[in-house]
Amino acid sequence: MRILVLGTSSSAGKTMMCAMLCRYFARKGLDPVPFKASNLSLNSYATKDGGEIGMGQAFQAWSAGLEPETDMNPVLLKPSGNGIIQAVVNGKPYRDYKRGEPMDRKELLGEAVKAYDRLRTKHGAIICEGSGSPAEINIMDRDIANTGLMEVTDVPAILVGDIERGGVFAAIYGTWRIIPDHLRPRLKGFIINRFRGDASILKDAIDQIESMTGMKCLGVLPYVYLRFPEEDSYSSSKGKLEGTDVHQAFLNNVDEFTDIAISSGFDFDAVERIARE
Amino acid sequence: MDCIKKKVNEEIKRGWIGSNHECAYHPSHFTGQDCTFCYCPFYPCGDEDLGANTPGKRGKPVWNCSDCLFIHRTEVAKYIMSEIRRLGIEDAADPRLKDIFVDVKSKFWHEGRAVMVVGATSDAGKSITVAAICRMLHRRGLLVAPFKSQNMSLNSKVTRSGAEIAMIQVLQAQAAGLTTPDAHMNPILLKPKGDDISQVIVCGKPFADYRVKEYYEEFVPGPGIQIVKEHVDFMKKRYDYVVMEGAGSPAEINIYEKDIANMRAAEIADAVVFLVVNVEWGGSYAYALGTIELIPEKDRKRIKGIILNNVRGDPKKMLAGSGKLEEMTGVPVIGVIPHVDVMLPSEDSEALRDTSRRGEGGIKIGVVKFPRIANFTDIDPLFMDDVSIVYVQEPKDLDGVSAVILPGTKNTVLDYRWMCDKGISDRLKEMKGKVPILGICGGYQMMGATLDDSLGIEGGTKEVLEGLGFFDNRSTFAEYKKTIANREAVLLKGDGGQVTGYELHMGQTEVGEEPLFRVDSMFYPSWNEGSVREEEKLFGTYLHGCFDLQAFRRYFLSFVDGSVSVRDAPAKSYEELLEDSLDTLADAFEENIDVERMMRILEGKE
Repeated sequence: MRILVLGTSSSAGKTMMCAMLCRYFARKGLDPVPFKASNLSLNSYATKDGGEIGMGQAFQAWSAGLEPETDMNPVLLKPSGNGIIQAVVNGKPYRDYKRGEPMDRKELLGEAVKAYDRLRTKHGAIICEGSGSPAEINIMDRDIANTGLMEVTDVPAILVGDIERGGVFAAIYGTWRIIPDHLRPRLKGFIINRFRGDASILKDAIDQIESMTGMKCLGVLPYVYLRFPEEDSYSSSKGKLEGTDVHQAFLNNVDEFTDIAISSGFDFDAVERIARE
Repeated sequence: MDCIKKKVNEEIKRGWIGSNHECAYHPSHFTGQDCTFCYCPFYPCGDEDLGANTPGKRGKPVWNCSDCLFIHRTEVAKYIMSEIRRLGIEDAADPRLKDIFVDVKSKFWHEGRAVMVVGATSDAGKSITVAAICRMLHRRGLLVAPFKSQNMSLNSKVTRSGAEIAMIQVLQAQAAGLTTPDAHMNPILLKPKGDDISQVIVCGKPFADYRVKEYYEEFVPGPGIQIVKEHVDFMKKRYDYVVMEGAGSPAEINIYEKDIANMRAAEIADAVVFLVVNVEWGGSYAYALGTIELIPEKDRKRIKGIILNNVRGDPKKMLAGSGKLEEMTGVPVIGVIPHVDVMLPSEDSEALRDTSRRGEGGIKIGVVKFPRIANFTDIDPLFMDDVSIVYVQEPKDLDGVSAVILPGTKNTVLDYRWMCDKGISDRLKEMKGKVPILGICGGYQMMGATLDDSLGIEGGTKEVLEGLGFFDNRSTFAEYKKTIANREAVLLKGDGGQVTGYELHMGQTEVGEEPLFRVDSMFYPSWNEGSVREEEKLFGTYLHGCFDLQAFRRYFLSFVDGSVSVRDAPAKSYEELLEDSLDTLADAFEENIDVERMMRILEGKE
């Protein structure tokens, strides 16, 4: 099983969604593993074997009941000031890129796919997280974690939109439209996140988006006041988390969120079907 | 009437003067206005494009043209004066003035045009874009005014005629160079009162409370549409351009037919539309394309330009994707605007959503973040001093603060209960006397001995609550009545000094304390306002905006322990600072927007 969770913007709720799917599949004994082909983040985590990965993937690994490992985030891009970006590949510093210097996209994507394949053979379900929005026309040819991964694997994708800022239907529809023609059929579903109020008022709009795109609405998730790593205050990047209370607190949050998703009627079965296709 | 004729005679004798900077009231309408005819030679013209009959004191209709700006256009005043001279008219009673009126109106009067700024999301930058366009057009000598048909905001201000409108339209009016913002600019104002209910303010006056469902099913299709139409028409008759602001996203397809703040208003005004997208969160091309394509075709054709806003980093990178976006949408990207760091007040609680603190100054002030916090723009001027703000939602948030402000609220009783339940009230009682505590409006009411809601007007349940007990004041919510007024006041304590502000509240307070301010009025004897106990560092007032001028800001901060250095007198008032910010903003737009193209679109040539 494999699935890619894309977002219509940054902080649409991808990290949380992947952690939740990891949790749910782990509860069902489906052996999930998190994966993010490329992560642009300052918040990183040191794996047991001394590698460095994005904090979000460590958190997702715990949610899946696994020990974080470097394959879960093979490419980590860390802005280190003055426009310099340090690329960490397979947990080790690879090289620095100066402002405006093009990345070795082919090479980085190649490493990412190798890690993806390794995880797929070892685990029952690979839960992939996209990065930012997959519809950034200006940088799509350089993408790794979104359309990049879709180009080189057969992973199906679902789309998370944040309704809190408004314009979520436009965001979902617009993202679907901008995804290149040959990849668009692989967008199978969408999720409306952070909704407050009575979800029945969205029904007509959801029906309309479903019929315009052929994507299925997998759920409308309520706004929750729960903290998850990427959004929180570990801004000093090297902070370890092993065995602290915070670690447990995050897991409690992901459990709570999973339960909320179940009780709000989130269509996990459909996600499973998409992931198996 | 004779009095007006006499004044006009003087004006005729004096000739064309342009702007009268000597006059104490200048500019009474807009920056750059022509003052040749302070008194109109055509009064009462009876032309309904320019004025209207209003009921007078003795039941006789009175011609009211106080909103007419036509006579204050330079080209108009110059032309009238040249005609007066040419015809040798020396007296205001000369019947030939009527002919001049007909002539000048046909030559110079025209209905204005409308442009609307919609956003792909909330916080897209609609408000500042409207402000920037207003300033740009004002700079080009055009008469321009902001307009938002329906605004949901807790930050409102009081106009000169005593109407309540959203703070942001007042700011945009300032950007347009207008000195007297009025309720036409924001005819419908929604002020959330509870989770599902809002107070609806029409033309600056409370209209009724509506539940969300009733609002959309009864108010919108009934009075709502009519109100928007009436005011849009009014504005277009008086200004060259009406710059309208949408609300939220215009592509919320689940409520599209019931939405009178976006494309429906654009249709009523026959406006061209610009779409603003905030680039900061990513996905902006998708938001732009999706918004345009989800809007039904009949309305879509109004969208004439896309503005990508709030770009951090190199705007050229965004431009790289613009061509494809234009190709897909058929709408040009007319501007890529960088992030502009200006000090402008925040629109509504959306902007406060995830904020726990603001500013970087040394004096840490705790502002209690009530669930129904209102008019929190009151604290903005404090950032001109060495201040940072911590929003208090739990007692522990008060740790280490040097002062506390209890701001305004839309519902004093419910928010006071919230503050007690949270344990913040108890904590404040412990802090009393140690750090200065200021209550503004609702926060001021809470500082008193009792909150008498025995009719259940505020909280829904009939009860008399015990307040914080900091002041020997009693507030009563006796009837559904609201005080709305602008005030000029002086500070009675410290070094004294001028204070301006406005009152907006339900309930009345019986005060048993030494007053903080004296309010001066042109029409009534002065009266005392607010409460103060210096020895206990307690301050309270109904005056929103009390920090706008320096006097009270300084006075309040002087009670901060060890008086962490309060910055030396800034050379500028808050008002001037806003003015600078508006110019900086407009400059950023001038530099990064295709101005020529924008003007062509506005003129209907594209």
